[in-house]
Amino acid sequence: MSRSNWILVVSLTIAIISFPPQWHPYKIKVMMNEWVGVPEYRALPASVVPPSLTAETFCPEDLRLWRKNLIIDDVEVRAEKTCVADNPYLVAAAVKGTNNVSLGTLHASGFTSDAIIKGDDLDGDGDPDEIHIRLEVVELNGGSNIVTSPSTQYSIAPGIFPSLWVFAPKLSGMAVENFESQKARRELRLPAPAIRVEQGDRVIITLENTHYMPHTLHLHGADHQFLDSSGEGNDGVPITSEKPVLPGFSRSYELTPRQSGTMFYHCHVQTHVHAMMGLQGLFIIEANRPNNWVQTLNLGAGLVRAPSVASKEKYDQEYDIHYQDLDSDLVRRVRDSNDPRLITKSMHRDYDITDASADYFLLNGRSFPYTFRESLVIGEEGHRVKLRVVNGGMKAIALHTHGHKFTITHRDGVAIPQVQRRPQDVVALATSQRVDVAIEMSNDGLHAYGPGIWPFHDHQYQGITTDGIGPGGNISAIVYEQYLGVDGWPKTNGVAFDRYFSAAFYRKEIPVWETYGSNLFSDTGIDWILFVRIMVSLVCFLLSLVLLFSKLGQWLTQK
Amino acid sequence: MYLLWYFNIFIKFFITPVFIGLLAFGNVFAQGQHMNHQGMTMKVTDAGFVMNQNLHILPVGCSEVSTDIELRVRAGRKFAVEPGQVFAMDKPVVSVPGCSRLTIVFQNTDSIRHQWMVHGLPKYLYQGGMFHIETHANQTVEGTFILPPEDKSYLIHCDMAQHMEKGMRGMLVVGEGSGRIWSIPGETAYFYRASYLPRYIGLGIGLGLVLLCSLSCTYLVLNRFRSKKLLRKID
Repeated sequence: MSRSNWILVVSLTIAIISFPPQWHPYKIKVMMNEWVGVPEYRALPASVVPPSLTAETFCPEDLRLWRKNLIIDDVEVRAEKTCVADNPYLVAAAVKGTNNVSLGTLHASGFTSDAIIKGDDLDGDGDPDEIHIRLEVVELNGGSNIVTSPSTQYSIAPGIFPSLWVFAPKLSGMAVENFESQKARRELRLPAPAIRVEQGDRVIITLENTHYMPHTLHLHGADHQFLDSSGEGNDGVPITSEKPVLPGFSRSYELTPRQSGTMFYHCHVQTHVHAMMGLQGLFIIEANRPNNWVQTLNLGAGLVRAPSVASKEKYDQEYDIHYQDLDSDLVRRVRDSNDPRLITKSMHRDYDITDASADYFLLNGRSFPYTFRESLVIGEEGHRVKLRVVNGGMKAIALHTHGHKFTITHRDGVAIPQVQRRPQDVVALATSQRVDVAIEMSNDGLHAYGPGIWPFHDHQYQGITTDGIGPGGNISAIVYEQYLGVDGWPKTNGVAFDRYFSAAFYRKEIPVWETYGSNLFSDTGIDWILFVRIMVSLVCFLLSLVLLFSKLGQWLTQK
Repeated sequence: MYLLWYFNIFIKFFITPVFIGLLAFGNVFAQGQHMNHQGMTMKVTDAGFVMNQNLHILPVGCSEVSTDIELRVRAGRKFAVEPGQVFAMDKPVVSVPGCSRLTIVFQNTDSIRHQWMVHGLPKYLYQGGMFHIETHANQTVEGTFILPPEDKSYLIHCDMAQHMEKGMRGMLVVGEGSGRIWSIPGETAYFYRASYLPRYIGLGIGLGLVLLCSLSCTYLVLNRFRSKKLLRKID
């Protein structure tokens, strides 16, 4: 036999022997068992020690003492017991109007002097009835031709920076925290502020389009005329009532709502894109009462720190709850380039919402675990709590409360007759639907089962994840005060939150149960022996193939 | 942002240590009609505000104000003439001599807010190292500040979200300046720039290359066969 024949035989033999026995077909395995017996034990790869976590601070210290009960410019601003509280000066300015507060309060609020103008008391009942609100449009986590990191950064969960558009109150100064920072100032956030007016108020909302795309404002469900007093379109719909507001321009929308209720507002330009980018907020019309100074803007929704007279009559606390979802394929597009022409093409023509899937699920602009910092519903036994809930996402939600059966009092802003009200623990909310929810924290076995930390969340299972990683999404909790630490962090019974406050967890790099049983639930190591066997087998097989074909060629040419 | 970082390094290691003693002479920010907001002087009117206005205090190295310059800068949609630009200043580049007292008359022709903001000024004189004018819709606000003597290029921008990125970016050149700043529409190259090539050009080039390769391979193979046949005929 020639040398090349020897090589052929040897390489073919090595290829066959080194082929991993774990992949032998069943019959071969049985045959090998009969010939040579059962192979030796080979240990499975050892567990990998997970990367050490760099967790964010769960509960930042309240250095400015914003969580306390305060009286600012004669406005009682209630305590907010969560870790992160709304700026109380902003609340006071939203109650009095930026034209009626002291200069110190105005500056501490961050508003411009014309952000919320409150005028005359038209019905003589002790509160202003002429309200002029100014809103701007802000892009968070936007694109740039200077840096690759997002501009005006806002994270919805650790390490997650989706590009967003939002209606923002008119704030003076910079969009970022300070001139060395890329982080958005804390007032620039999702969702758009919940707007609160009183039934019968003469309301003007001026949209100042500070963004580089056209926008409008549509008052969904709120009583408004098709045309305003000057005959201009007032419905905010660029296919029926008006042209959109172009960059650098502004337009005022007018309404004098005759009915109270929880309504909605959103941009109506290319709504399937603009509303899904975040241009949506709650619009609440409070029942008319004497001396009813309502908190005109509730930034980031959540606890109403200066509730209306009507709310105080029946409830101990009131919360604005805004659910949203985001498609990761949409919220990356503004950063693909810095040219508005390319961006508008990418978002309005290349993006196809009929192929979309929601990836991020927000409660008041954040996902779990950030919801635990600022969107807990907190009360005591015996409290009655009102939630005004809107689902602004493209997907329906199935809102569920642990430990409580709530009662729907209003649907789409209209009261449900008393006889039709009943306790329930799941309510389905279609896109843009609103419900007013009453939670009785009375331990009677029906309405509530007693004190604790009771989660509330969307029971459709995507909603409790952040891009498929759970726990995430819109999970929050109803927390009884005895279960709340002094700093506002719930006493979670020994459960560590380090993983959830690590960006790596939501990048899918951390085993979900590692802390409960290291080794048992860790990631596995790599079987390098198997890899070497495959490589040897493959190389020998290829070599023998080459030799075989050259033999074949020789044989053919000789013939 | 690396420019800001560069400015910071410059200020931290060269300027600040030398002039830190200056602070001992008193509060350089105390100016009569101005109010103090978060440690910064503010001149507030209905038309907007000026932050860190400085009419009289000379930066270190200036014995006197070299020149008084008044400049009207207009800002708005209508000055955005470059392709892809949305908001703009009519004078993105402002050149002044060192130690000059610069008054910016900042006119906003839009129905929204705009800002004219300089970064990287000496922090001993300008809190946060900035001078900032904000002008409300269709208003004009003027603000004055005195520049240090050093040749330096400062970034000018509007710090409303996306306004700098979409066109309101410029530079203030003092003396000879210290180089040009990236991404100023109509002036300097964009640091990042989209390709603007036909949509499927990459695919086209790729397919073309594959086609070329396969054709040449076929040619070579055929040629080889032909030559072998020839050789055999000769035999």
